[in-house]
Amino acid sequence: MRLLRIAALAATALAALSTSALAQQKLTMWSRSSSEAFMPGLIKAFNDTHKTQIELQIVPSSEMVQKYATAAAGGSAPDFVSLDLVYAPAFAKSGTLEDLTDLAKSLPYFEHLSKAHIGTGTYEGRIYALPMSADASVLLWNKKLFRQAGLDPDKGPTSWAEIEAAAGKINALGGDIRGFYFAGACGGCNAFTFMPLIWASGGDILVDGGKRAAIDSPQMHDAINFYRELVAKGYVPESAKTDSGKNFFGGFATDKVGLSPIGAFAIGNLVKNYPDVEFGVTFIPGKEGGRASFAGGDNFVVTAGRDNVKAAKEFLEFVYSIEGQTLLAKGGSLPTRGDIAAEAVKGLDQRYQIATEAMKMGRTPSSPVYNDIFNSSTGPWKQMLNEAFFGDDVDGALAKAQASMQSILDSSD
Amino acid sequence: MTDQQQLPDGTSRPRRTARQRRKQLVGLLFVAPALALVLLFFIVPLGMAFWMSLHNWPLLGKPRFIGFDNYSRLLDDARFWASMRFTITYTLVVTVAIFSLAFPLALFVEKTRPLTKFYRTAFFLPVVVGFGSASLLWAWLLDVDSGLFSPAAYSLGLTDKRINLLADFDTTFWSIIIMVVWKTAGFNMIILLTGLQGISTEVQEAARMDGASPWQRFRRVTLPLMRRTIALALILSVAGSMLAFDQFYIIADGGPQNSTVTAVYWIFSQSFGSFHLGYGSALSMVLLAILVCISVVQLRLLRNPEGM
Repeated sequence: MRLLRIAALAATALAALSTSALAQQKLTMWSRSSSEAFMPGLIKAFNDTHKTQIELQIVPSSEMVQKYATAAAGGSAPDFVSLDLVYAPAFAKSGTLEDLTDLAKSLPYFEHLSKAHIGTGTYEGRIYALPMSADASVLLWNKKLFRQAGLDPDKGPTSWAEIEAAAGKINALGGDIRGFYFAGACGGCNAFTFMPLIWASGGDILVDGGKRAAIDSPQMHDAINFYRELVAKGYVPESAKTDSGKNFFGGFATDKVGLSPIGAFAIGNLVKNYPDVEFGVTFIPGKEGGRASFAGGDNFVVTAGRDNVKAAKEFLEFVYSIEGQTLLAKGGSLPTRGDIAAEAVKGLDQRYQIATEAMKMGRTPSSPVYNDIFNSSTGPWKQMLNEAFFGDDVDGALAKAQASMQSILDSSD
Repeated sequence: MTDQQQLPDGTSRPRRTARQRRKQLVGLLFVAPALALVLLFFIVPLGMAFWMSLHNWPLLGKPRFIGFDNYSRLLDDARFWASMRFTITYTLVVTVAIFSLAFPLALFVEKTRPLTKFYRTAFFLPVVVGFGSASLLWAWLLDVDSGLFSPAAYSLGLTDKRINLLADFDTTFWSIIIMVVWKTAGFNMIILLTGLQGISTEVQEAARMDGASPWQRFRRVTLPLMRRTIALALILSVAGSMLAFDQFYIIADGGPQNSTVTAVYWIFSQSFGSFHLGYGSALSMVLLAILVCISVVQLRLLRNPEGM
């Protein structure tokens, strides 16, 4: 008898749940914790002005991939996800994502959306992901230390030689002050900040549509020698050797580092949390000038097979409106639509203009095995850079990484 | 046991009494809950892991049956065997280090003297800290800027600059060995202590009367009588070290340059960094087989000569 009652209760509860779900038509969306500063505000503004309602859930950045993958396999995945753009190819390949090609092509400003995002969102000619939020790598310099070292505090370096010269003068200030900082044991950080050095000098990392690794290039050797030189001359703090990314941003925030390549996210963070640090923002230069940037951030994806494309379009049109882009920029993300980006950051810190410019030329290597090659802490990219920056055998490190990356790329098919 | 006895002509006893059968049934009933737990939480997951290891089972997408391909692939996986070699080296070093500290500690706290309880507690205290939190604590202690060791050595004038202990294989490895010894010596001390206390004083007394020196008594009386206790401590220590992960992941991140990646770390990174769950399962199976072999060998070596 009791069992029957429990069953009846459960049935009623279930019925109540499903009817309320029908009545509200709430779509669910996941976003990673690093987007916590702008996603909730954006979603709220959307919900306030639209009949379609989105319920946002923040997921810890480091757990997003596993969580979404297992949820998708179990059928409990959210309708929309704001996914780190480097993972878009892996998810597209697995068949988890809805094909958004028609939606994308129907947007009149499609040509102006971030190329890097669309690039990683495209798999075998179809578009599965569109830009959500953005971050570009830039070079930061400490104006106070520049002044103390007798350098022009309003002019950032535009070539490697200038960086080295400035770092040397700042290093000469002595004490705990160092010229240059980077996280030397972090694959992801160095994809973000080291690859632009190679791109700006005319080289590349993955070629042939991401099928072939081209590590052993003259540009790579030059860039490595540039960093080795900085390390050998003692311009880089000892802690950089083992920084697995925990101090990626913290190094510069100590006010004891002259120059550091970081992301645009640092601008808002420094202004808000470290108001004493006076800093300038410039482009990451190539060997003899030139400029490049790694485009990071999130792609917007739709879980396949749910008939949510119309709602997705409604949401994306809001995101790409001037209102949406301004909200993103205010929260610390760079605008993702190029033609109105300048307008979206108009009222903000001047330094965002540089980052927005950097975003426009931002690049991202696209591969379903991106994590395996570049982000993984046991992966070839991280190991190669650490060996090359701090070890003795640069050629050996490069050759080993080239072979290892190629074998990972080959086995992914 | 009587019904198991073989008769001289080789046939087993033809009849079991009903009473004996009932007794057996009751016995089975008593162990049933334990059996069910083992089945549910060990045998079934183990079977599932084996099943996964026969598939190309990506974290994303659909699994595909590939038979024993994962196993043939892992034979050529140089990184896995390198991590295995490192794990074995680590196990040997850390086990010797733990025992060479835990044994003297056990002998020391066995005798009743003032403050014995205090010493026992003090030596055991690090054991109750979880491996994760202990690793975090040591990650901080070993930090080059904000930690303890290298800033302290620098300000005492022992080094002319702050040395990044985690940037070099030897210093990383030995730092972690010291940390693990600090963390687990107390546990092994307690196990060895129970063995020591199990030796009756009469035996020691008799040896003394026969004129055995303290070293002879330790070598000829204490050690042989502690065989089983030592076996227990050894097997626990070796199995634990072969499965080491937390300390290398948290303190060193497998570095410098992936030189401290243990077998479990490699399995973890293959499964969740490269998304190859099937391959990770195959690696786990191989690790399990190796562990079983090691444990069997240890048990045989430490078996009492009389076959007890």
